[in-house]
Amino acid sequence: MSSNNPYLPIPVEIIKIIDEVDTHDIKSFRLKFINPDDEAKFQYLPGQFAELSVYGRGESPIGIASSPTDKGYVEFTVQRAGAVQPGLVTSALHEMDEGAKIGLRGPLGNSWPIEFLEKKNIVVVGGGFAFTTLRSLIHYMLHPDNRKRFGEITVIYGARTPGLLLYKDELAAWEKRDDIKTIITVDKGDETWNGREGFVPAVCKEIAPSPDNAVAVICGPPIMIKFTLPVFFDLGFLKENILTSLEMRMKCGIGKCGRCNVGSQYVCKDGPVFSLAQLDQLPRDF
Amino acid sequence: MKKTALNQISELAADLMRRGTLIAPVKEKAGFVFREISDAGRVDLNFYNTLMSPKSAFFPPTEDFVRYDKSKTVLDAEGVEPDLKPVFLLGVRPCDVKSFQIMDIHFSDTAPADPYWKKRREAATIFGYAFDVDAPADAADFYSTLKIGAADPEGSDIFMIKKGDQLLLKAVTPKGESLLSSLNGLAQAGAEDEKYFDDYVARGRNFKTRHACVEDGVIAKKLEDLFHKTEFWEKISDACLSCGACTFVCPTCYCFDICDETLFGKGIRRRVWDACMFTDFTLEASGHNPRTKVYQRLRQKICHKYSFHVRKYGVISCVGCGRCTRNCPVNIDIFSIVEKALKT
Repeated sequence: MSSNNPYLPIPVEIIKIIDEVDTHDIKSFRLKFINPDDEAKFQYLPGQFAELSVYGRGESPIGIASSPTDKGYVEFTVQRAGAVQPGLVTSALHEMDEGAKIGLRGPLGNSWPIEFLEKKNIVVVGGGFAFTTLRSLIHYMLHPDNRKRFGEITVIYGARTPGLLLYKDELAAWEKRDDIKTIITVDKGDETWNGREGFVPAVCKEIAPSPDNAVAVICGPPIMIKFTLPVFFDLGFLKENILTSLEMRMKCGIGKCGRCNVGSQYVCKDGPVFSLAQLDQLPRDF
Repeated sequence: MKKTALNQISELAADLMRRGTLIAPVKEKAGFVFREISDAGRVDLNFYNTLMSPKSAFFPPTEDFVRYDKSKTVLDAEGVEPDLKPVFLLGVRPCDVKSFQIMDIHFSDTAPADPYWKKRREAATIFGYAFDVDAPADAADFYSTLKIGAADPEGSDIFMIKKGDQLLLKAVTPKGESLLSSLNGLAQAGAEDEKYFDDYVARGRNFKTRHACVEDGVIAKKLEDLFHKTEFWEKISDACLSCGACTFVCPTCYCFDICDETLFGKGIRRRVWDACMFTDFTLEASGHNPRTKVYQRLRQKICHKYSFHVRKYGVISCVGCGRCTRNCPVNIDIFSIVEKALKT
């Protein structure tokens, strides 16, 4: 099999499956490369994605939830899709056990602009299941080799309910650290919840991070993004310093199949990360 | 330059078939189509243009990527590489030759290259064929609007012009030159033929199809300004059935889907043509769909060709071949839409 063919997946093995939420429809899959050459070639940055491939079902574009600083594996957090019809690939993945082998194509897309983020204060804003590539970025920035390259790090993360928060152990660990400010909120708490309640945009407004030398990195459901982008603009963040990750239906992931086209951009290749300044140049057709 | 009698075209066809795969126009019930030739006698150059564009020579309606067996693992899946036999594509009109160059920018020149398009292109020798400049153009054609001549040899390896009952063949590229000099049964063309050829190319440049002044940057900007003017798009898409016929006959439409087809446990992952005119084209697993309305999809098609593509690749992704207009069941005409946009 030609290694230069961008449509051919490489084989990986599922070495760990983590049930992330109380509704059991979001799982993290830790993958190990079967061929060492493939691992060496899979050089990625936070914010990129890959196509997870199950023969007979198809491929799904999924953000990479691990950081390149997490050695020996690459991790994806996958929601079982089902809003339209049962997701062919995601439901197949959810039925798999550790040890199963699947295909992987990537890394794909641009990334959170690491060099641009250096020496700046970073405000990471996430909503619900879309926290995955933000977690990758946080892992990356918190790594001992990298932490001093970035200024203050503030994380504002919300989910609908406490049970729907991803990576709960990590959130608890970050809350204990003094080199990252972690604010967790839920739309509605339950009897076990002692934390904050409130929608992400409102919490951002209340926390009001300083725009001085700061970049907001925002990822969440469309409705959250819609209401959060103006909050940061109103706080005085430059449009160039408000970043988000777009979602469009994708197939090839390499800017060929035309599906994710918005204006002059292919979201899969030119994105998925865009600044608000860049989004203003695109037709609102996503 | 060489020449042959038009009624001896089957001998040229037979020679090419000995050297590789020949794809050429044949007459079928519905009209002329490009087919892989198994009977040299069927090659017929008495056509205006083919029903479908010749893009399928390089971008077939289905292209196999991987063969897999569900009872085995991903390790046993087998990548499929395209067959590299030499291909001769005979009788391609200049506007369609231009479409290959436009598609090359997307598929070959922009990394990562699409290996299937690229290899098929490299394996092919193109015999371009001038339109008849003494007859009027089809009412749907508008290639002169896109600055494409009726007899432009650029982009072909060998270019053919009809002269009475003769066919003149001139090499355009080194690849064409080496093939042309080795073909059997062709006569050497004379100085008079050379002059006829050059004059014909020049006449082709002045030949007018339906014509409007369309500058890349002007139309790109105009459509950007019009993008959110919903009334404009609703009006032009009023009759559109979203059938996608325009995209399938189009030489520069390249949208595709990737599907797994499994039968009795064995399957093929392949790409298949798809179209931005279909409602589920942009339907996400979450249920979100940015283009649920017909006007949004027709707008995407027009703006992609005349605005987005210009911004991305510096070229309009349309060659004015007229196929979309000829094949639209409700007479939607992209040329009229572009004209209307420019006047709005």
